[in-house]
Amino acid sequence: MSTPAGFDELIHPATRLSVVALLAATEWADFAFVRDSLSLSDSALSKQLHTLEEAGYLELHKEGGGRTRRTRVRLTDRGRTAFEGHVAALRAIVEGAGRPADDTPSERRHHSGAGR
Amino acid sequence: MSTPVDAEQAWKDLQRIRVPQERVYDEFERTASGGRGTAYGTAALMWVFLTGVGMDPPWWGVGLFMTVYVGLLGALCVRNGRRTRMQLHRSRCTGRMWAAFGAVAVLVGGTIVLADHLTESLAPVCAGPVQATAAVAVYLLSLGPANRWAADSVRSGGEPAVDEATGR
Repeated sequence: MSTPAGFDELIHPATRLSVVALLAATEWADFAFVRDSLSLSDSALSKQLHTLEEAGYLELHKEGGGRTRRTRVRLTDRGRTAFEGHVAALRAIVEGAGRPADDTPSERRHHSGAGR
Repeated sequence: MSTPVDAEQAWKDLQRIRVPQERVYDEFERTASGGRGTAYGTAALMWVFLTGVGMDPPWWGVGLFMTVYVGLLGALCVRNGRRTRMQLHRSRCTGRMWAAFGAVAVLVGGTIVLADHLTESLAPVCAGPVQATAAVAVYLLSLGPANRWAADSVRSGGEPAVDEATGR
């Protein structure tokens, strides 16, 4: 089976796909917000974030110190482009099989808004 | 090496993308509609500012009120920003959000102008608080519905784009 252009092996695993999908809807998100939204443990999320950070798909900004310390996660332009390409590839696979890609409203809205 | 993905798996992946993005919209709605403290804080600042300006102070008094008002409003925004857990991506911002903001501004501005006309016969010491109270009441009454209307558009705003993207 051939894989369409844009299909991203790094984003493809379910957890990473969820992380990137969440971040794609935000300018930035707190580590705690991502963790709670995806029901992940700190260590599981850290592992995925570092993998994506090493690939240049996201940036981590640590702010404050002590009890007020917080980590903000932001998808880079490269990460956003990779995510858009991956979603387009998934849609191509679905539509190539003769099945209309069911709507993913927020994501398609993202595509339409990218040019704004 | 490429991972073979069949149509069924790809379709499931596309559905999976929706779940975390819905969490983002939930958080946005919660932030937009749940900030009572911020609403009352900005309303209190607005009341003090409008009352002060409505009492016809000298030009330096207006300048002083304006500086303090903008400074305190800025501090409130910074404090709120620190509590925020995420910021919606600009591509998700809809025209309805700006329309809601503009509508509240027009309503409050219109109320100030109208109250100014209606209280012309009163002494400035009485007219100022009356104008401020009317404007703040309109602000508080319109803020909730405007926020909810704007937040709704973020979630539902994607629907027309589906058709655009697929040509259906």
